[in-house]
Amino acid sequence: MPSLNSVSTISQSELNSEPAIELSHVSKLFRRQKQRTVKELLPALFGGQSAVESFWALNDISLTIQKGETIGIIGPNGSGKSTLLKLIAGVSQPTKGTIKIHGRIAPLIELGAGFHPELTGRENVFLNGVILGMTRAEVEAKFKTIVDFAELWDFIDEPVKHYSSGMYLRLAFSVAVNTNPEILLIDEILAVGDEAFQNKCFNRLKEFKHSGKTIIYVSHNRKSIVEFCTRVVYINKSHLEKTGLPSEVCQYYSETEA
Amino acid sequence: MSVLTIFTKYHELLSELTWREIKQRYKQSVLGYAWVILNPLFQMLVMAFVFSKIMRMPTLGVPYSIYLYAGLLPWTLFANSLTGAVNSLVGNAGLITKIYFPREVFVASAVLAKIVDFLLATSVFVVFAIYFQTPFTWHLLWILPIFLIQQLFTYALALFLAAANLFYRDVQYVFNLVILIWMYLTPVIYPVELFPDQYRWIFQLNPMAVIVNAYRQVLLAGAEPNYLSLALAASLSLILLTVCFKFFKKVEGVFADIV
Repeated sequence: MPSLNSVSTISQSELNSEPAIELSHVSKLFRRQKQRTVKELLPALFGGQSAVESFWALNDISLTIQKGETIGIIGPNGSGKSTLLKLIAGVSQPTKGTIKIHGRIAPLIELGAGFHPELTGRENVFLNGVILGMTRAEVEAKFKTIVDFAELWDFIDEPVKHYSSGMYLRLAFSVAVNTNPEILLIDEILAVGDEAFQNKCFNRLKEFKHSGKTIIYVSHNRKSIVEFCTRVVYINKSHLEKTGLPSEVCQYYSETEA
Repeated sequence: MSVLTIFTKYHELLSELTWREIKQRYKQSVLGYAWVILNPLFQMLVMAFVFSKIMRMPTLGVPYSIYLYAGLLPWTLFANSLTGAVNSLVGNAGLITKIYFPREVFVASAVLAKIVDFLLATSVFVVFAIYFQTPFTWHLLWILPIFLIQQLFTYALALFLAAANLFYRDVQYVFNLVILIWMYLTPVIYPVELFPDQYRWIFQLNPMAVIVNAYRQVLLAGAEPNYLSLALAASLSLILLTVCFKFFKKVEGVFADIV
């Protein structure tokens, strides 16, 4: 694929061609047990059904992401995008192949996971910051920046269960970008929040981009992908279908989808 | 990766998650932490009434209420710690699928958070002990190693239960049943002396029985604990912790896939 090669040479000449993430022939087999309780499992075993159903969630993915790249990942639901993100985040192990990560990763944790509804915004900032790998002292030092960015000074001592989902997202996003990771993983989450704040997030992400950090952005919103990413990876039916310039790959995606 | 890693490299994360456990409990209730004192107190009063006034349980020189309390408090800590731990991984699924750090942090924070409850509930025991004038001796210091052995044993079981519950949710229901039966197999509400001599060795195999007896020995009799039994319980706890930790680390890699 000549177009693919030309893209990778462009990005390598533009940037200092140091890999941030290297995936080589990565496959992930899921053995999904259909039964979640013994009550369901026993009749299935006696009935001669197999207890385990397996499928390849990802199949032979090779991908090198350079430092400073902003990669968009697109593909239909169930194509393996989230699995890929889990592998990169290190929470899941590949069945075959190897993954090398150079630098500290911060995922943008979805609503409800890293934050506790009963705790105040302030308490949650510390909790989430430490979960993302900062020390308490580092969170303390960044606290003002985090709350300034989220524009939540009026509510910072309220329990976050009283927050709107937009406010919630603002705080979560603000903590994640201020942990100063080398690699930032964003999974769809920016779909929430009003437009003004979304713009603010994208501006912050652009600063991130310009300071040479790596961003991996999973989204169904092709407009934001084309505007924001330097390269797009299209994953379809567990395979890496196409990678290249955002406009080209999104165009290809739209054509094949129909 | 050793058992102690979470106390060194991840100690800030461990303390943040432990505080989260502690804070979230009292935020929503009016009486807040009073409940962790009132609950075992009322449980003790009801049991003390039933077993000393109705069943006429014989005890050894100390009032039954304080005898019961000395066993009930550590038992409640044990049972509550495991109840909290069994769901500690399932309840944190959102984090487990997003970010990596040693998963035993969740289990350890669930176990550590219950120590606060235990200490608060113990304050009532202290009042009882002063009122009934139990002997105050240097042997009371034995409480610390006994407590440590109990926590090692608890943590070992907690690691196993939390991981197993991720694979099959039945574990939490089986656990509820087992912990109920276990309480009756442990001399919490009855003195071990009620058992015929030739069967008493059975309690040696149950670390919780050894631990409860040891607490009573140093707290109520002002004597030293049975060193042999305690050493046996300590060794058993350490072996169990080694095995359970190895198991936990072995299956940890698939947590994010199955949760």
